[in-house]
Amino acid sequence: MQTILVCDDDKQIVEAIDIYLTGEGFQVIKAYDGYEALELLEYNQVDLMIVDVMMPGLDGIRTTLKVRENSSIPIIILSAKSEDNDKILGLNIGADDYITKPFNPLELVARVKSHIRRYTQLGNMGQQNVENVYKCGGLLIQDDNKEVFVDGELIKLTPIEYNILLLLVKNAGKVFSIDEIYEQIWNEEAIGADNTVAVHIRHIREKIEINPREPRYLKVVWGVGYKIEKQ
Amino acid sequence: MKRNTWPVNLKKHLLLLLHGLFLTLFLTGVSFIYFNENYGRGLSWLHEESYSDTRSFTEQLESDVEMIFKYVKYKDLFEVDGTLDYDKDMVCVTFSSGKTMIYTLNDMIRSAKNWGYYLTDSFEVAGGPAIHERETKNPTIPLIEWKAYDPDAASHYTEPGDAYATREELAFEVLTILGEYYQIQYNYMDQPSNLYFRVSYMDQAGKELLYTNAAQYPLKDLKNMGRYLYLSGNSILIDTNLKYIPKNITSELENYNLYGNNNYYIILGLDTNYPNTDPYSQAHNAYTKVRVNYITGLILFAIGASGLLVTLACLICLAGHQTAKEHTISLTYYDLIPLECSLALFFLCLWCWKLLSPHTGLWAAKLLVDQNHRNFFASVSHLVGVYVIGLLELFSLVRQYKARSIVHNSLACHSWRWAMTALRGASFPARMTALFLGYTGISGILIYTLYYLYENRSFLPLSYLYFIPALVLTGFQIWTFLLLYRNANEMEKISFGIFKMSEGETSYKIDTLGFSGKGTDLAQTLNNIGDGLESALQEKVKSERLKADLITNVSHDIKTPLTSIISYVDLLKREKIQDEKIQKYLDVLDQKSQRLKTLTEDLVEASKASSGNLKLDIAKIDFVELIHQTNGEFEDKYELRHLELVAALPSESIVIAADGRRLWRVLENLYNNAFKYAMENSRVYVDVTGKHDHVYFTIKNVSENPLNINADELTERFVRGDVARTTEGSGLGLSIAKSLTLLQGGTFKIYIDGDLFKVQVGFPIDTPQ
Repeated sequence: MQTILVCDDDKQIVEAIDIYLTGEGFQVIKAYDGYEALELLEYNQVDLMIVDVMMPGLDGIRTTLKVRENSSIPIIILSAKSEDNDKILGLNIGADDYITKPFNPLELVARVKSHIRRYTQLGNMGQQNVENVYKCGGLLIQDDNKEVFVDGELIKLTPIEYNILLLLVKNAGKVFSIDEIYEQIWNEEAIGADNTVAVHIRHIREKIEINPREPRYLKVVWGVGYKIEKQ
Repeated sequence: MKRNTWPVNLKKHLLLLLHGLFLTLFLTGVSFIYFNENYGRGLSWLHEESYSDTRSFTEQLESDVEMIFKYVKYKDLFEVDGTLDYDKDMVCVTFSSGKTMIYTLNDMIRSAKNWGYYLTDSFEVAGGPAIHERETKNPTIPLIEWKAYDPDAASHYTEPGDAYATREELAFEVLTILGEYYQIQYNYMDQPSNLYFRVSYMDQAGKELLYTNAAQYPLKDLKNMGRYLYLSGNSILIDTNLKYIPKNITSELENYNLYGNNNYYIILGLDTNYPNTDPYSQAHNAYTKVRVNYITGLILFAIGASGLLVTLACLICLAGHQTAKEHTISLTYYDLIPLECSLALFFLCLWCWKLLSPHTGLWAAKLLVDQNHRNFFASVSHLVGVYVIGLLELFSLVRQYKARSIVHNSLACHSWRWAMTALRGASFPARMTALFLGYTGISGILIYTLYYLYENRSFLPLSYLYFIPALVLTGFQIWTFLLLYRNANEMEKISFGIFKMSEGETSYKIDTLGFSGKGTDLAQTLNNIGDGLESALQEKVKSERLKADLITNVSHDIKTPLTSIISYVDLLKREKIQDEKIQKYLDVLDQKSQRLKTLTEDLVEASKASSGNLKLDIAKIDFVELIHQTNGEFEDKYELRHLELVAALPSESIVIAADGRRLWRVLENLYNNAFKYAMENSRVYVDVTGKHDHVYFTIKNVSENPLNINADELTERFVRGDVARTTEGSGLGLSIAKSLTLLQGGTFKIYIDGDLFKVQVGFPIDTPQ
């Protein structure tokens, strides 16, 4: 049973998160400020930490920095600050995820699960040094049996979706326009391509992303194309 | 300060007295100079000239030369061996009876005495009978055979009257000549003289005829005297140190040359120490006295003039002060008269005096001075009168100047002030009219004066007088032009300032340096407007930012409790409550909390977008690709409401410069808008067209509810079609879309035509150049 440390100065939010996570079978340790969280971390085996940014005493950013000094457990920042700058700052100082309030409880649970799977399965996945296996963060493609895993969970894709994803993962970081993807997958010249590719991409996103509106892997570069973020 | 305790009034009177004294001195000096015979010769003669250089000296010398040659003539006539011989024959006459008589000098003197003639102290003939006595006493008139004193007489007497003479007439002639001889003898021989002369004629045999009063002096000594003249027969050059040569000397010398050769000479020597009393020494003394008089006059003139200046300066300093310490200037009643009036009065006084003074002056002059000095006295008294009048006016002016009322109190200043006050109260057009009239009036007067003076230039004392109005007219026109130019310059600056401000540069300031009048007012007002606008603008920017910050902070504070609400509503729903009513309530709670969430998020975005408080990441993006991507995102969603997305997109890419993510947000809002408000089972049309250098994206849908709203109002925050208010959404979607589009340099237009709702978004196409 994994232990999750939840830290927020709003007790009701901590309580609600506790209810959801306990319902999913996690053990939850509750803290109400940064110092308390650091103290609890010292005496408990914690697998994941959820931390609020705006807290009295030690805030979430400083807490994250402290934790990162000697631990690599997944940290999810939970904040009312929804600006890009805040998200970038949070992720840059070592957080693994950034969820803005008010959050969807189900999404939070999904993300917690995803991070824990990745964290715990990281070791044995790294040992599978097999050919035709493509990996990008929590995304794993085994080309031999055409299987796709996200954080260790098998995802079902149609052949076209699979090919598109494989193309993007193989060339992680590179941006493909709709026309390029069309030509590569359908082997036809794209003459006034329609929405087909975009719709497929959307479907892929819905399958591999927890929140398709804020994708972690398959990103939309608006007005240019699509890409898999290199991780 | 005991030193300066004399009352100012006493000082003034003393100074005035002194001034009068100095004036008297000055006038005395002028008179001395004026009546001196050297008047008008300047000053150089005083040290350059002595008596022997003067004309009067030359005249004296000329008369002396004449006398000397008379002596040359008479010496041989009357003298035998250097002494007067009374037995010398003088005249020979023939009477009508045929009897010829020779009269000696003695005969003639006795005859003259007989007639009553005698010689005076200065050897002039005097006495004699009355004319009627002469006629009765001796009616016989003999014919003159010869005259010893006039050897050529008989041969050159052409008129009968000349050839005959009575004995009385002859005696008178002889006595006259004798008188002249005595005069010479007395003046140059018997009496010591300052003039020495020697005349010498020599015949071929070496016999010399010598006439001199300086036999004891050799030739050389005579030449060493103060003034000398040496003229010899064998030279035409005159050896002399005289300034003016006696004109008669050469002709006289030649006249008495008996031998007709060149062996003769004359030497004149003048002892300029004048040891002897004679006409030269007397003239010299008189000359010296005149000179002294002249110098005295000069000194008096100088003292008087400087005294006049000094006392005048002191009086000017004191003018208007009543006491030494007070600085206030007391004015007399006369001083209170305006400048022009007082000047007019002054000239009137001068004019009156000019009319009056010839009478009073001459009358006084007749009483006091003789004929020769009358005119001078009259003009001096006239000038003194002018001076006194001028002095009075000068002090009045000085007092007014000290009181600084000379200009202020003038009629011109009064009328100028009056005009200015009248103008200031008047409206701008009225002022312009007045200025124009003034300009025209002054120009007209000047032009007329110029014309008049030019036309009559030959009648005027100064024919070039018309230059003055010409110059004034030119100056006036230049001045007017400069004013107009400055005005135009000000207008230019002001209009430039207005242009700048209208362009949004509200901090622009018009430099009012050198502005005047209306221009200053305008420029300053405009600057104030600019200041007002600037501060209003800054206030607005500041308040927008504050508002955005406030909204952001408030939304943070709302989000935290909202998180709990959403979470617990969700938890409640999971409790699987069977009660329908509670289920319904929970749905409402869920729906509204979700809407509150959207609202807070959109609110922040809307405030940031409208205040421009956003960092844009502008890049080149393919607009067509973006529409494809967006269509892909929404295709599935639209199917939920059975909406058909009809897209008409160009096959080639159209590149624009924009922030992809923000533009996606614009499109997302527009698509969502269509999704929410389009009639179910209808079509949503999307197309992209390139026109010229712009690309336009249009989305059209048919509204489910009547659009009873103005197109412009739709982009106002929180505005939605009335019915739509209850549905999901913040009401900020179109507002955010518009703000973001405008921020990226695009255009955003909403068209409503019945139930047709159409939005057009335009962007300039980014060309490779």
